[in-house]
Amino acid sequence: MNDIAAKLGMTGDQLEGLLAILVRNTVILIGVINVAAVMTLVERKVSAWMQYRHGPNRVGPWGLLQPLADGVKFIFKEVVIPYGANKPLYLLAPAMAAVPAMMTIAVIPFANDVVLFGKNWGPLAIADIDVGILYLLAIGSMSVYGVILAGWASNSKYSLLGGLRASAQMISYELSMILAILAVVALAGSINLKEIAALQASTGNPLDWFFFKQPLACFLLLVASFAETNRHPFDFAECEPELVAGFNTEYSAMKWAIFFIGEYSAMAVMSALSVVLFWGGWSVPFMPDAPWYLGFAAFLAKVSVYLFLFVWVRWTLPRFRFDQLMRIGWKVMLPLALLNLLATGAMLALFGPPGAP
Amino acid sequence: MVKITVNGREIDADPKKPLIAACHGHDVDVPHYCYHPGLSTVGSCRMCQVEVQQGQTPGRVMVACRTYPAEGMVVNTESEKSHATRRECLEFLLKNHPLDCPICDKAGECDLQDFTYQEGQSTGRSKEPRRPLEKRHSLGDVIVLDQERCILCSRCVRFFEEVPKKAQLTVSSLGSRSVISSFADRPLTGNYQGNIADLCPVGALTLKKFRFQARVWNLVKQASTCPECSRGCSIQVEVLRGGDVKRFRPRENQAVNGWWMCDTGRFSFAHVNAPNRLANALVRGEQGLVERSIEDGIAAVRALLDAQPQALLVASPFCTVEEGQAILALAKRRGTTPLFVAPGPNGLKDDLLHTGDPCPNRRGLADLGFQPIESKELAKQLAASKAAVLFGERVVELAGQAALAALPASVSLAVFDCHAPDAAACTVAIGVPTWVERSGTYVNVDGHKGPISAVKAAPAGVRALARHLAALDVRVEAARS
Amino acid sequence: MVIVKRKELSLLERLYVPEIARGLSITFRKMFEKKITRQYPEEPLPKTEVTRGQPRLVVKDDGNIACVSCGLCEAACPAYAITIDGGETDRPIEREPKRFDIDMLRCILCGFCEEACPKDAIFMSDELELADYSREMLVYDMEKLKRPAAAMRKRIEYVHKINDRWRSAPRPPMLADQHGAHGHAPSASTAGSHASSPTAAAQKPHAG
Repeated sequence: MNDIAAKLGMTGDQLEGLLAILVRNTVILIGVINVAAVMTLVERKVSAWMQYRHGPNRVGPWGLLQPLADGVKFIFKEVVIPYGANKPLYLLAPAMAAVPAMMTIAVIPFANDVVLFGKNWGPLAIADIDVGILYLLAIGSMSVYGVILAGWASNSKYSLLGGLRASAQMISYELSMILAILAVVALAGSINLKEIAALQASTGNPLDWFFFKQPLACFLLLVASFAETNRHPFDFAECEPELVAGFNTEYSAMKWAIFFIGEYSAMAVMSALSVVLFWGGWSVPFMPDAPWYLGFAAFLAKVSVYLFLFVWVRWTLPRFRFDQLMRIGWKVMLPLALLNLLATGAMLALFGPPGAP
Repeated sequence: MVKITVNGREIDADPKKPLIAACHGHDVDVPHYCYHPGLSTVGSCRMCQVEVQQGQTPGRVMVACRTYPAEGMVVNTESEKSHATRRECLEFLLKNHPLDCPICDKAGECDLQDFTYQEGQSTGRSKEPRRPLEKRHSLGDVIVLDQERCILCSRCVRFFEEVPKKAQLTVSSLGSRSVISSFADRPLTGNYQGNIADLCPVGALTLKKFRFQARVWNLVKQASTCPECSRGCSIQVEVLRGGDVKRFRPRENQAVNGWWMCDTGRFSFAHVNAPNRLANALVRGEQGLVERSIEDGIAAVRALLDAQPQALLVASPFCTVEEGQAILALAKRRGTTPLFVAPGPNGLKDDLLHTGDPCPNRRGLADLGFQPIESKELAKQLAASKAAVLFGERVVELAGQAALAALPASVSLAVFDCHAPDAAACTVAIGVPTWVERSGTYVNVDGHKGPISAVKAAPAGVRALARHLAALDVRVEAARS
Repeated sequence: MVIVKRKELSLLERLYVPEIARGLSITFRKMFEKKITRQYPEEPLPKTEVTRGQPRLVVKDDGNIACVSCGLCEAACPAYAITIDGGETDRPIEREPKRFDIDMLRCILCGFCEEACPKDAIFMSDELELADYSREMLVYDMEKLKRPAAAMRKRIEYVHKINDRWRSAPRPPMLADQHGAHGHAPSASTAGSHASSPTAAAQKPHAG
């Protein structure tokens, strides 16, 4: 190892670090993309079960290979570009929708410091940066461009309306979401996601999880993330009964699939964010010194519960009306988030930060 | 003429004709089996009973075919009494009639079915078995008799007595064992046997050639004119599913044929059903006759006509008046007189309908100015000429296939016919429709116009003769280009 | 006009969240209940004599086809799926089909042919699957349509039962209406003369 490193003009540690980064990043990225694939199956299976059906069960055992079959189908289907579409923007839009979700995954700490081969490789995250939350919100907001562009470039009234709705909705709910997150940030005194997670995991006591200090913020973030990811009951960008399929009406084949990879990735990111902010991240209850893989497993388990919640809500609740969506966003969510932030600030001012003597 | 009241309507009736004829003449339906306007009345079926009230006497139920209209007669064909009487008669007629309808060829045009349905005798009360009789009794080459189905109306018996005036059938045996039979079981003879199958109100007499061939409601029916002789009987052509012609049946036309037609005409569908029809055009090249497009064929005919100003124009007697006019126009432009093939009498002449002249439109073409020419004479003239154009269906057959084959190769023949002649002289042959595939007019021997009409489509690639003639007209071609 | 009164919502219901929780609990519970989907090719549909599958021709126990090619099914067929050409036979029943085609792509499985058949020759079998590689192969000829009577016994008996129900009933007033159209109404006595079977007579008081 050292020989190879020397030939490349670096030390063995440097090479090892580089390899570690490569392996880690590849694993995380592929993992996220696969979440999208698995989620398509989960979505169909869970919805089927809730409706007394079996769901896909023909491809592979219990239909497990269905995502693969779908993927093959998407690749071989024809990409149809509608007449009069703005071609560059039309082709760009799916990427614009999917890439931000993949980028934001970079700052999610999946586990505590990884100890492997007797060496500490640092936390299981692509980038452990101090402005994690800021980065996440900044990049995450960009995904709305994908939807708007898709709506605009398709040269279709349904798509345009879907795009317009999506933009209005995302901007409205982003506000509440940020305010809800701010309350946690104020509590933690950090915008580094790893530090926030570590704060909750230090004692192993589940009551340290911020959910028990900020239940309202957690709920607001949950609702806002439904809206941010265009999921039921707020999927106005698609809204089949009114807009055919909204912004992706004119998309087909892999272009269409990329929108869904984006949607499911965004779901995964929002779930991971919620877990980190409110559910102790990699914290294993009552095991403050749990090894990193247990923590990683706990993290994945918590994210899975969140993802299931997304699906569960989708197949339970009816869609709101658009005016209801706006009313809830501006007249319920925003005041509640503001109040929550004010109350948190007041408590901090009165009693000092948590953990402080 | 006397005034009578039928169903509350006052009508003028001929006192010399039976009451049923007056009713039928004024759209009053009276069921009947034995009555036929072309035959004498016997009143044996009792189906035409109607309530008749005359003067002060109360209404009585009487058979309309044996009652003659009298001034002031009040007739009710729909009264309860007449319906009840007819229903009871019908029940007895049906007593021994087998439930054969799914098998019977008459089903669908059967008077027994129709009137049973109309009078409503849908269930029988009889418990006894029906009398078993012979189901397939052959009456010669044309007719099969099903004795079980017969209701003994005796229309067929009277037909042979009164129309061909040669009695051949009779009702033999007694009571319920009565059957129609020919004298000494001899097969029927004569050229008018087929008519008794039409006359039979039930399915007892059927044509051997039509037996089990088609269900009558599947036949497309169209009024036309029989081209078998110059009588031009009014007929109905019946085609199964746009394919084969299954039947020719006479159509009532008092001026020409009454209700009848001869068997020669009735069974003359071999020609119209013939396979291997000439479609498109055959043009003689180095490999003999080769199939080409119709345009190429017309061009070849025009070249022939241009090269030979003295070419003979010979029409078939099957050409309609309209086609004759088109040929005449072509002949006038060329300054020649058109001929038409007119074979001599074929020996089928009788004193009823058949004229023995196989040219259906002889009168029509002759009136237009065509010269009739005997087949033998035509062969001589053709051999002497350099070129000829033969127009119309069956022209080859009538001019004589052998005579055409014997022509020297120096003669150029252009033929418009349903089948190409096997003759070395033939340079072009173009397909034309048969008389069931085109419309037009024939003029019969007495000058009556008879329409022929297209009952089915010609095979693909076959165009009407008039269209070929129009294409031959260079002026039309020039105007088009 | 119907005025629908809206239900007064309690505070809890207006808060929405408890109702959401209720809804979620319902869907969660349903996930573990028995599935009602039928796994079709493995679990075929139950077939009873009421099943109205593709029409099939009956071959009688003596080996002859029951059809006499009367053409009534052809005439009754609303989809023009049936084509029959008849021909003569030497059997006591003089007529039999020479060609009997059913275009299964046209057939709408309405059962009119079965109803029209006077000879108990065509019945709706319990065969439902229909797939092939070309349109021509789905025009079934007589050989493909023939089935022994034993194979369709249940359906035949069922149809007979249904028909007998009609037969035992008094004559429907349809024909009386026809006479009415001609300006003639049959009296009760003439109508009664058609009630042939004793069961019909027994039913009369009830009908009246």
